[in-house]
Amino acid sequence: MKKKHLLLAMILIITMIFVSACGSDDAKKDSKDNKDSKGKTEQTTIEFWTMQLKPTFTEYIEGVIADFENENPDIKIDWLDVPAADLDKKILTAVSSNTAPDVVNLNPTFASKLAELDALVNMEEAVSDEDKQKYVKGAWEANRLQDVTFVIPWYLSTEVTLNNTKIYEEAGLDPEKPAKTYEEAKEYSKIIKEKTGKYGYFPSLDLSLVLQHMVVMGAELTNEDGTKAAFNTPEGLKAFEYFTELYQEDLIPKEALSGDQRNTIDMYQAGQVAFFAGSHFISQIKENAPEIYEHTKPSEAITGDTGKKTMSVQNIVVPKQTDNEEAAVKFALFLTNAENQLAFTKLTPILPSAVEALEDPYFTEAGEDAEPTDLVRITAAGQLDEAELLVPPMENYDELKEAMFDAISEAMLGEATPQEALDKAEKAWNEILAK
Amino acid sequence: MRTNKLTPYLFLLPGCVILGAFIFYPMLQAIWLSFTDYNMVSDPEFVKFDNYEKLFQDELFWKTLKNTFIYLIGVVPALVIIPIFLAVLVNQKLKGIGFFRSAYYIPVVTSLVVAGIAWDWVYKENGLLNYVLDLLGIIAEPIPWLTSTDTAIFAVMVVTVWKGLGYYMIIYLAGLQSIPTSLYEAAQIDGANWWQQHTRITIPMLMPFVLIVTIMSSIAAMKVFEEIYIMTGGGPLHASETLVFYIYKEAFDRLNMGYASAAGVVLFVLTLIFSLMNLKVMGKDKTA
Repeated sequence: MKKKHLLLAMILIITMIFVSACGSDDAKKDSKDNKDSKGKTEQTTIEFWTMQLKPTFTEYIEGVIADFENENPDIKIDWLDVPAADLDKKILTAVSSNTAPDVVNLNPTFASKLAELDALVNMEEAVSDEDKQKYVKGAWEANRLQDVTFVIPWYLSTEVTLNNTKIYEEAGLDPEKPAKTYEEAKEYSKIIKEKTGKYGYFPSLDLSLVLQHMVVMGAELTNEDGTKAAFNTPEGLKAFEYFTELYQEDLIPKEALSGDQRNTIDMYQAGQVAFFAGSHFISQIKENAPEIYEHTKPSEAITGDTGKKTMSVQNIVVPKQTDNEEAAVKFALFLTNAENQLAFTKLTPILPSAVEALEDPYFTEAGEDAEPTDLVRITAAGQLDEAELLVPPMENYDELKEAMFDAISEAMLGEATPQEALDKAEKAWNEILAK
Repeated sequence: MRTNKLTPYLFLLPGCVILGAFIFYPMLQAIWLSFTDYNMVSDPEFVKFDNYEKLFQDELFWKTLKNTFIYLIGVVPALVIIPIFLAVLVNQKLKGIGFFRSAYYIPVVTSLVVAGIAWDWVYKENGLLNYVLDLLGIIAEPIPWLTSTDTAIFAVMVVTVWKGLGYYMIIYLAGLQSIPTSLYEAAQIDGANWWQQHTRITIPMLMPFVLIVTIMSSIAAMKVFEEIYIMTGGGPLHASETLVFYIYKEAFDRLNMGYASAAGVVLFVLTLIFSLMNLKVMGKDKTA
C-alpha cells in the first residue's frame, strides 16, 4: 500500500509541475489579452531591462520609474537588471520565445543584430519630429540600418586618453603635452621604452576597435552602398603597417593581440603603461589604483590624419513584439529626457544624448579642485562636436570585424606582410558583403 | 501481496521525464535545426544539407577540429596518468593526508572563471611564469604564452589538466581503496617489491577506472570551452579555437543557429565514435 501511495504522490507532483509550468504561461497571455480588450481601465505593465546598473544606480533608476509612474498612473514599470554578459542571450531567448520585454537597454552591436532581423520598432515612425530634435544629431543618426533608426540614444561617450604623468616625467616627457596623434604615440612609446623600460601606448584592438583605428587613419571601410570593401588603399595599408611596426618593435605589449580590454586596464593600473584610451575605466582606476589615479591626466583622443574622433552610444530599444508600443516609447523618451539624463550623468562619467542636458555647466567648466574624473567628463564633452560614430551598423558585422582582426593579427605576428594581410582582408570582406 | 509489473517503470518515470525534457528533446531539436536556416527570431527554414556542405568547406571548421584533436591528444594522457600517481600518493596512511587530498581537489571546485583570470596573470608577458623563468636564466626574452600561435593552445591545456587532476585522482582513489589489501600481503610474502606490487596488482586492478577516466576526460577535452573563452578567446589567429568555441561563436555571436547545430551534430557524432572506440579497445584489454 505504501508503495502505491508514494507512486501516486510522485505522478501527481510531476503532473503538477508540468501543468503549472504551462498554466502560468496561459495566465500571462490571458492577462495581456484582458489589457488589450479593456484598454484604459486596466493598468499597462511595461517590462524594462537594463544592463548591469544594479546596485550602483538602483536609486536613480527607481527614482526615474517612480516619477514616470506618478505622471502616468495607468502605466506600471517592471524593472529587471540583467548582468551585461547575459543580456544578449537573454534578450535573444526572450525574442525567440515571443516573450520580449517592452523596453531594453542594449549595446549598439547587438541592437543592430536584432534590427537586422527586423525585431525592433522603427523610431523614425514611433517618435515625433519635435522629440527627435531633442537629441544630439550624430547620436540619433548613429543607429540606422537601411533607413530604419532602431534605437533611442541614451548616453554617449567619446574616447579620452588617460595619461600616467609619472611615467611621462620619468621618461623626460612633458605631461602637459600628451600624445595627440598616432605618430606622437609611437614616438613617445620609443622614448618611454628606452628611458623606463615600460610601455608607452597600449592601443586596444578589441575586435571592432581595429575598424575604428583604420577609419581614424583615413581608410574608408566600404564603398557607398556597402557592397564592396574600400580599405585596400595607402591609408588602409598605413594602419596595418603602423600596428605591425609597434608590435614587432616591441613598443606595445604583446597582449595587444589578445583583443581583450582587461589586459589594458590591468597594465595601466599596475603603472606599466603610460597612456591608453580608457575614459570609461576612470572610476575603476580610482577605486583599484588610487595612486595611479592621482597621477592620471586625461587628454583628447589620439587621432590620425583625418582628425576624426570616435563616439559610442548606449541605446534604448523597443522590441516589435511589445503589446504596448505607445507606452513603451513614452517611457523610453521619459528615461532619456534632458532632466533625467543630466541626473544620470552626474553619477558616472558619461555624456547625455539630450542637447539641453549638454549645455549644463557640469560639462563645460572645470572647478579649481577638479579631479581626473571631472576632467575626463569635460574633455569628453568638449570633443563631442568633432566626434562621430566611426563604424556604422553593418550586416554580418561580427564576421567583418573578425576578418579584419584576423588579417591585422597575421601582419603583426609576421605571418604575412601588411599588404598581403590587407589583400586577404579585402577578399574576405567582399565575400561577406556579397551575402 | 500482488506486485505490479508497471511499478519499476513508474520509478523510472521521473528520471525519464527529466532526461527527456532537458536532454533528449533538445538533442532531437538540434538535429532538426541542423537542416534549417534559423536565426532565433524568424521561423526555421528547411535547407536540407546546406549547413553540412558549408561546414565541410569551411577552413576554420577544419582548423578548430584539428585544434580539438590536439587538445585531446595533449590533455587525455596527462589526465589519465598523472592522477594515478597522485592517488597512490594520497592513499598512504599518513598524518594530515586529508589535507593533501583536499589540496589536490581544490582546483576542481574553483570557479573556472576565477582560475582562468588567475592563470592569465601567470601567463602574461610580465606575469609570474616569465618572471620565474627569467630569474632562473632559462629565457632571455619574455614568452607571450597566450598571444603566440605556437604556445597559446598548450598554455590553455595546462589549465585544463591542472583543473582536472583532483577530480580523476578521487576516482582512482576510490579504485585503489577497492583493491583488497590481502593481494598486497600475499605479494609481500612472495617477495614482490614496491614496483612489482604496483605494476602487477595496482595497475591491472585499476584498469576499469582507467577506462572510465579515459572516456570522461576525452569527452571533457572535446567539449573544452570556458578556459578558451576566458583566456584566449580562441586567438591568436584561431590557434586555440576549438570546435565548441567555434559553435558558440556561430550560434550566439552570429545567430547562425542552424549552422551551429550542424557543427554540434558533428561534434556529437565524433564524441560518440571516440567513446565507443575507447570502450572497444580498453574493454578488450581488460578481458585479455
